[in-house]
Amino acid sequence: MLMMKRRAGESILIGDDIEIHLAHIGRTRVKVGIQAPRNIPVVAKEVKLVRDENRAAAESHLDGALARLVARVPANRKST
Amino acid sequence: MKCETKYWGQLDYTEDSVIDFPAGIPGFEQEQRFILVEQQALDPLVFLQSLATPALCFLALHARVVCPDYRFRMSDEDLEVLGLPGARQPPIGPELACLTLIHLDEQDITANLLAPIVIHIPARRGTQAILAGTDYSHQHRIDLVEAPVCS
Repeated sequence: MLMMKRRAGESILIGDDIEIHLAHIGRTRVKVGIQAPRNIPVVAKEVKLVRDENRAAAESHLDGALARLVARVPANRKST
Repeated sequence: MKCETKYWGQLDYTEDSVIDFPAGIPGFEQEQRFILVEQQALDPLVFLQSLATPALCFLALHARVVCPDYRFRMSDEDLEVLGLPGARQPPIGPELACLTLIHLDEQDITANLLAPIVIHIPARRGTQAILAGTDYSHQHRIDLVEAPVCS
């Protein structure tokens, strides 16, 4: 991984179209401005992890005996 | 009212049991209405059934079943979605449910502790809070042989 030292107010360019601007450096967090073409999605890494994990979790399949058990037990919707 | 479900065919529900997820959840942004289905015989499993998509039914557990000392801080945006504006972090309790989505595959059962489903019960609003600055994993392994241990 390429490592670079930059100060607040400075920028990094990735290719011709993407600019990462270090807007503010706090004690524990940095505020980053990102300029990128519209077709390049920009999200925090955790958002992608969670999105992928949600899609995988949605494919979780109860099969065999467990699925039959779930289907047999009368469902009570919780009214909480 | 009736809805089609993944496991139970048609199920009766009332409008006031619907939980609104105003932003959906990541990967399912269009899914904004869910009902919680719990069955005594399957306790502590909780099912999060989409009203719009019958085939979409997440399997969940209360986060503290997986991790008894589970703690989290939500962002201001998440608090606002839940109708809980202000600086105070509400505790998990009768008014605030905190679920973790379960992922089953052939090798493993994992729980997403990085991004709990938080439901403000009186407001019937929910969100998936992506936690910042935490060591909780989005794939926390659940060991069925021994009691669950928090990492």
